[in-house]
Amino acid sequence: MFHQILLQIFQKLNKERTISAAYHVLRGKRSGQTIQDIGLFQLHQYFGLLPKLSRTTFDEAVNLFMQNSWLNVQESGHFYMETLGLQRAQQTPTFFFDGWHYRGNEHVFFARLSLIVQSLSHQAAAVRTFSPISRDTMIQAWVRTFLQAHHYKEGHLQQQLLTECNHVLTILPVSDASKQLVLYRLSGYQLPGWTWQQLADERKETVLDSQLAFIETLHILLNEVHQKIDDYPLLGHVAEGLKVKILLTDSAKQTAQLYEQGYSMEQIVQMRKLKQSTIEDHFVELAMYEPNFSIGPFVSYDEAQKVWQASKQYQTKKLKILHEALNDMSYFQLRLVLAKGEV
Amino acid sequence: MELEQLLHKHFGYSSFRPGQKEVIEALLQEQDVIALLPTGMGKSLCYQLPAYTLEKPVLIVSPLLSLMQDQVEELKRFGEKRVVALNSFLSLTEKRYVLHFLEQYRFIFTSPEMLLQQQVQEKLAQMKLGLIVVDEAHCISQWGFDFRPDYLRIGDWLSRENRPPILALSATATKKVVRDIRETLSLKAPFEFMYNVDRPNIHLGRVVVEDKADKARWLMHHVTETAGPGILYVSSRKRAQQYSEALLQEGVRVAAYHAGYGVEDRQFIQQQFIAGELDWIVATNAFGMGINKLDIRQVIHESMPANIANYMQEIGRAGRDGHSALAILLYAEGDEELAKFVVTGDLPTLHHVDRYQELLSQQIQPIQMLKNGELSETAFRVLDYWLQRESSEQVKVRLNHLALEKYNAVNEMLQIIQTKDCIREHLVGYFGQKLQKKPENCCENCGIHYDVIKKVRLKEKKKVEMATWESRLQQLLMGN
Repeated sequence: MFHQILLQIFQKLNKERTISAAYHVLRGKRSGQTIQDIGLFQLHQYFGLLPKLSRTTFDEAVNLFMQNSWLNVQESGHFYMETLGLQRAQQTPTFFFDGWHYRGNEHVFFARLSLIVQSLSHQAAAVRTFSPISRDTMIQAWVRTFLQAHHYKEGHLQQQLLTECNHVLTILPVSDASKQLVLYRLSGYQLPGWTWQQLADERKETVLDSQLAFIETLHILLNEVHQKIDDYPLLGHVAEGLKVKILLTDSAKQTAQLYEQGYSMEQIVQMRKLKQSTIEDHFVELAMYEPNFSIGPFVSYDEAQKVWQASKQYQTKKLKILHEALNDMSYFQLRLVLAKGEV
Repeated sequence: MELEQLLHKHFGYSSFRPGQKEVIEALLQEQDVIALLPTGMGKSLCYQLPAYTLEKPVLIVSPLLSLMQDQVEELKRFGEKRVVALNSFLSLTEKRYVLHFLEQYRFIFTSPEMLLQQQVQEKLAQMKLGLIVVDEAHCISQWGFDFRPDYLRIGDWLSRENRPPILALSATATKKVVRDIRETLSLKAPFEFMYNVDRPNIHLGRVVVEDKADKARWLMHHVTETAGPGILYVSSRKRAQQYSEALLQEGVRVAAYHAGYGVEDRQFIQQQFIAGELDWIVATNAFGMGINKLDIRQVIHESMPANIANYMQEIGRAGRDGHSALAILLYAEGDEELAKFVVTGDLPTLHHVDRYQELLSQQIQPIQMLKNGELSETAFRVLDYWLQRESSEQVKVRLNHLALEKYNAVNEMLQIIQTKDCIREHLVGYFGQKLQKKPENCCENCGIHYDVIKKVRLKEKKKVEMATWESRLQQLLMGN
């Protein structure tokens, strides 16, 4: 699965970026460049899937791709995909990750759910003391509040949660093996969970692939819960606050607020004591993710049209090439136009 | 209320383990106590129980943050809410809050460094404590393996007037270390309790092999033919992984265990082991903390332990139910070299000294090294303590000295392996005790009839099969 995901990302970034761009996407790097790449190349689903991915693991995969003649990487890190690689990428299945909206929060969801299930399982067995599966005091406090809010002491919460979980898992369009995977990461009274290694051995794949299958299932589940929130009073509560709504980085958000208050770009640079280029990154981010943001004050309509024509003519979104073709426009203007998308 | 009643009420036990009652009674008569009790033998109960009669907070000074967390969790499991860990993990706001309400907690865990902070000392000076506990007290001693410099400094603080009784706890200490504890903490005629280090139901085997390959052959054969539950201690994560994979191939119900796994995975393995779903754990020395399984029949050391104390602690996990258990130490010539390499790997190096100074000169907090994972928690503290007091050169000399001490500890372990006399007598003597009586099948040198102790492995024990997601869900929530 990891290799298939990488192939898909490389395919989308083909000839346009360095291989590191893919690494940053998977790690969910919050830099202006990566955020823009997400929008430009439609990489939303892969964003931040593996925040702890080591460079070694990533490079090993890249080396393998090169050995297989799927990928050609230049010394600068820029790459293109060989015919074989493109074919391979075509054969990969469609994945249903939603990294952009969850950004690792699926693990918070699961930590909450694990502790809830563990508590309810022990309660059902009338065992009062156990060692909590999550040591995170935030999670523990959250779960305590959850259990009280749903009157767990009355002893009906188990049945209610069972009904909801059964319902959502039954209609979820994923394989039984994936559902089993999720269930075996949960534990309860005299029911230990399985380690990643044990699950991966059982599924005859790598630990990383099992973890990805797990994440995908959780994303699909979370989206189902969010879409029909009324059908899932309990799971909806567990998922509360975990879907990212405002898609700007924190810093870009601050810039946006100042801009809305009427400050000019130069003033914002002064006020925030940041580099001009950083503030420009924020504006590009705004152009990409804030539908109401107008690039009019920075670029004329004619100029924007020229950019799109050039992009089509040269078949690229590479700034350097476009800048050569349209040398009276700044890089910042070009990026704004590309970010905003064709009108 | 009688102590036994309190014990049952708060902890659900019906009787005390050896030593607990004596220690608690001495403390309640306001006597200082040094208690040497092995891990897993109810060390913490010695201060947990008095807390419920004292009606004054108990202060527990604990050197390792992870250990502190374990103890806090344990108390919470028994339903205690008035427990807090006052340590460097707290944010400034949390710390202010905790300090403000400090007298309302029943158990206050803290670290030596925290105790040295002025605001903490001031707050504690205003409070009436019921008891002060110094956990892992062997860390006070320069002779110990885990010397914690900050512990030296709390000695001054503890020697103040009108202090409550002090309980110094340790799992392992030699005579020299006990003397250090008594002097550094200025204990007044303390009651000393030392458990009997000898565990007569554990038979002490030693197998000498030719080389690494020979060792692997012996191990594969032994583990596949004899019955668990057992722990196989190895020297590295990689080795743990390799052995567990090879044994899995042979159909043994086994899992590797080391600090490289996530918290959940580690808990899952412990639970599986306790539930009898696994027969063997291949572990680095990270395994054992807090494991409570009574029927472990074998503990095998694939490589040399760092010192005798660790060895005793690790084999001590076997046979807690009182039935016969087997400890086997494998040795191939030259193993001590690997052990020496491993034990000094935990020390700060000369490079770390330079790096510390480099960060300081760049006006970066040296603790960044710890956050980057450049060295271990213990290593950083040793480095930090000495570099605040001495020049780089002096510290480098000191570090070399520490390495030498660790080498010596390995050599002491080697003597145990190479001795021609009774291994048990030698081990017990190391802790300043005298062996009362040799059990049957005492040790390799006295003679062990392995066929009497070892049980043949029942091969029909099948791996636990996965249930469907529906029935797993049902089991988790409804218990059937």
